[in-house]
Amino acid sequence: MFRQPLSRALSLPVLGSPTRVARVCTSARSMQVQSEGKPQPEKVEVFIDDKPVYVLPGTTVLQAAAQIGIEIPRFCYHERLAVAGNCRMCLVEVEKSPKPIAACAMPVMKGMRIKTNSDLTKKAREGIMEFLLVNHPLDCPICDQGGECDLQDQSMAFGSDRSRFTDIHFSGKRAVEDKDIGPLIKTIMTRCIHCTRCIRFASEVAGIDDLGTTGRGNDMQVGTYVEKLFLSELSGNIIDLCPVGALTSKPYSFVARPWETRRIESVDVMDAVGSNIIVTTRTNEVLRILPKTNEEINEEWLADKSRFACDGLKRQRLVTPMMKSCSGELEPVEWEDAICAAAAAIQNCPPDSLVAVAGELADAESMVALKDLVNRMGSEHVYTEHIFPLQGSGIDLRAAYLLNTKIANVEEADFILLIGTNVRYEAPILNARIRKAYVHNETEIALVGPEVNLSYNYMHCGTSPSIVQEFASGQSSHPVYQKMMKAKRPMVIIGADQLKGPEGMSMLATAQQLAYNLEISLSDKNWEAALDIGYKPGASDALQANPKVVYLLGADAGYIDRNMLPKDCCVIYQGHHGDSGAEMADIVLPGAAYTEKRATYVNTEGRAQQTLPAVTPPGRARVDWKIIRALSEVMGQTLPYDDLDEMRMRMCQISPTLVSYGETDTNSFMPEVIQLSCNYQKPLSCELDVEMKKLSDYFMTDPISRASPTMAKCVQAVHKQETNPY
Amino acid sequence: MSAFGLDKITKLFQIIKVNGGIRASLYKLYRFDDLKDGKLVGQDDFGNKYYENPRYFFGRSRWVEYAPQFNMDYDGSQVPAEWFGWLHYKTDLIPTQDKDRPKYKWMLPHTENLSGTTGQYVPYSTTRPKVEPWIPKSSKV
Amino acid sequence: MLSSLKTGVQSIWRISSRALQTSSTLQHDSLFVHRDTPEDNSSIPFEFTPENEKRAEALLGMYPEGHKRGAMLPLLDLAQRQHGWLPISAMHKVAEILDLPKMRVYEVATFYTMFIRRPIGKYHIQVCTTTPCWLRGSDDVLNAVKEATGAEVGGNSPCGNFSISEVECLGACVNAPMMQINDDYYEDLTVKDTKEIIQNLKDGKEPQRGPRSGRFAAEPLGGLTSLKEPPPGPGFGLQAALNK
Repeated sequence: MFRQPLSRALSLPVLGSPTRVARVCTSARSMQVQSEGKPQPEKVEVFIDDKPVYVLPGTTVLQAAAQIGIEIPRFCYHERLAVAGNCRMCLVEVEKSPKPIAACAMPVMKGMRIKTNSDLTKKAREGIMEFLLVNHPLDCPICDQGGECDLQDQSMAFGSDRSRFTDIHFSGKRAVEDKDIGPLIKTIMTRCIHCTRCIRFASEVAGIDDLGTTGRGNDMQVGTYVEKLFLSELSGNIIDLCPVGALTSKPYSFVARPWETRRIESVDVMDAVGSNIIVTTRTNEVLRILPKTNEEINEEWLADKSRFACDGLKRQRLVTPMMKSCSGELEPVEWEDAICAAAAAIQNCPPDSLVAVAGELADAESMVALKDLVNRMGSEHVYTEHIFPLQGSGIDLRAAYLLNTKIANVEEADFILLIGTNVRYEAPILNARIRKAYVHNETEIALVGPEVNLSYNYMHCGTSPSIVQEFASGQSSHPVYQKMMKAKRPMVIIGADQLKGPEGMSMLATAQQLAYNLEISLSDKNWEAALDIGYKPGASDALQANPKVVYLLGADAGYIDRNMLPKDCCVIYQGHHGDSGAEMADIVLPGAAYTEKRATYVNTEGRAQQTLPAVTPPGRARVDWKIIRALSEVMGQTLPYDDLDEMRMRMCQISPTLVSYGETDTNSFMPEVIQLSCNYQKPLSCELDVEMKKLSDYFMTDPISRASPTMAKCVQAVHKQETNPY
Repeated sequence: MSAFGLDKITKLFQIIKVNGGIRASLYKLYRFDDLKDGKLVGQDDFGNKYYENPRYFFGRSRWVEYAPQFNMDYDGSQVPAEWFGWLHYKTDLIPTQDKDRPKYKWMLPHTENLSGTTGQYVPYSTTRPKVEPWIPKSSKV
Repeated sequence: MLSSLKTGVQSIWRISSRALQTSSTLQHDSLFVHRDTPEDNSSIPFEFTPENEKRAEALLGMYPEGHKRGAMLPLLDLAQRQHGWLPISAMHKVAEILDLPKMRVYEVATFYTMFIRRPIGKYHIQVCTTTPCWLRGSDDVLNAVKEATGAEVGGNSPCGNFSISEVECLGACVNAPMMQINDDYYEDLTVKDTKEIIQNLKDGKEPQRGPRSGRFAAEPLGGLTSLKEPPPGPGFGLQAALNK
């Protein structure tokens, strides 16, 4: 419902800068648009604490103050949400104004003289703080927010040391009953100070209008009114948004205090977006995961699976090497035995029968090491689990398999065509960007494929891909096509699910033909790194060709079945979770999960990022590339890298993009990709379908989230919600 | 005689004789780094032998020779509680002479300190394990 | 001796009474969360009657395209008038008509105290107890209403026809004390008047509305004390020179 052009968003200098727009598009048509450019409005001068600052008209006092590094206290204001102006904490004195003004909602005026530290301002803040604390319980010692609470900090900094509201000693403080809004968020509504950040987040970013305020005055409460679970794929973010302890994390409740924990910056691998995260640990245990701000990827949001599946890192772990005994059972063995057995199996195998398959959660280092090892044995059979069409340019040109318009630039698109994808669950952060474009920029969105709830309105064009062909042919009277042609910065996102079938190539070629910028949204994790390194997509052919040794590097997606393989085939599984891969293995080598190693992951934009070790691998598990390096030494084929720096040098030889951390290149070969693929357009007959249709499909998709009890509770909660009439 | 230290040599030969000849003496010296003569005061259930010789000064005048089955792996905890007091001069009465020493049915035989061996005492953990390992599906179940 | 015993008992009570304290004593008489009841749950269907559907259309027509949610208050009021009170399924119906998330309707319906979200009787008696009415004896009026109907404030009578609310100023202070029954004001009440009104309602008769003291409206009770003479005509009080 929240579909208003936000003057705030436009007035922000960061968002409106033309340099950002220039990087969006590769097509000639859109270059034109960029050169037109909007004239910059004249800046106005305001004085904050007598320091002059020049800002664009429409900037609020609070933003202007932030520009010169003066932070005004606030509770309800949040830079990514609409301005509410209801907490009044940001009151500041303005010269010649009879009353203090709310800095978050007041646009600057020419020559305004703002005093952020005057007596009046201080008194106003003290007064507001006193009001807020009248009804706020003094339960900080048992509150999970304690130590990272805005109210605590600001009452220390700006509050008074005593309250004049003595009547609460007789009448008691306001009490509000707690709401049950799902297995992820714990509510203690008595602590709520009615900043309405959660409500605004739900309706603006998550697109779920389930939260609101009921009642009025002293009886106002934030909640859902009816018994209803707040089940969004982005719900965890309201925990971070809540300035007090009203909304806290349920799995993390009463676990730790912020000052006891260590925070390690890392990268999420649960979806293809590669959100930046902070892993919070204590005593070698991952306690929780928080988002880390990265404007180009996840802003400051984080999807629920990335945030809450971390308890899966402590369950179903492979902690010791295992080997099949003579009775056919997997039994724990020493590293030496397991490595020797694996080495013997690989050495005794004819080169052509050695197959390596990398899974979704494999890091670039271990994939490079494995590929080098397999190549040294004379085999070329290195594969990813998922299928990508190899005709046309195949995987030779990066532009063919990346999200070329970068995630941040989705906001700038004015028309988005989604083909056979449920972006909401495949990449929730990307979907939040699309919704942002929809809400703030009036972006039109059309979808070909199963009708799913994307949290915004879109034009549905059926489930048949023939409509895409019709668009690609350039002759269509379909209203969606007309809109697309009129759009200045259109964008096409095709779901990775659609490239699997026999018609995948044709589908891709059609989409490429149609697209000025082709985007591929992938639900897969490390597809990009694997393809960059030279892994071939889709292992099924090689696996049917009678392999003798199959080396699975975290391949757990269930594409490989023991029944597909010959009886005498030796399956070596290296990974961190006991799942389908480990179950069918003859030799299990325990590896490290993404929080336990320094490793490189490449996201859907082609941006390489590295994780840092937050904890040590459990038990006798080891860092993955080192296992392969050790194995190579036993086999007498020692790989020429002894430490991580040398490993990275080798990666740099393969592709410099793999080690240029945090950066992403513009892919300039799109025209060639389109040229190469244009011959592969064939009539399409299949119906488009996606794997994840409902929220319950979203929570458990990989070995980590399948092992997580929190995610299991989420699935249960969604099923329970389905029977709820509200 | 003593001027030439010959009494010391006589004593040495005497000690060697008491300890059962040159081979046995060398073996004892090897085991205990010490060779003394003394009166055998008693023997415990494990075969440890307790000696006393007041000629040595206080603190070294009572000692134990560990039973041969311990070989070189002897340590102080192999002395049972009843001999501990005598050995450390808490009492001058050896266990057999001390009538006031309590003896109950429930008293267990003495065990040596088992730390560092497989028999050591390990208290069960009251905290949950941080990582639950994967247990492969067994066809036997 | 006795005084020290008293102090001792008091101090013990002070310590132990902490456990007996409750935190919320100030509470609104209605609840701001929904609880499913047999009378009020989402599975009870709610539809506007054909006449009201026409009215709803007319109401929607008053608001320009894109601002249809402005019709939320009148539509909720229409639903309440049709049903007597505002069940949750009526809120859902309004949300459906306006194409809004349900929560946005809940927010409005809970904000305004005149939307009644519990089943009430045919006659909703709202007794004003704000200062002017209270000074003129609204407590007696309220007690009389309670006695005559058998209902408590915030509750329904045993017969189910009457519900009593205590309300703040209804803007008829000149005619205090007063009460409102459904849409009608009954003013200048005495205990006798109040009982008579309730009895009339019980008998199915229509009681006389407005002031019960014989006044027409808000004029002084004992006749006019000023402005008795007819108003003077134009030019009154002008000096003679100008008055030509």
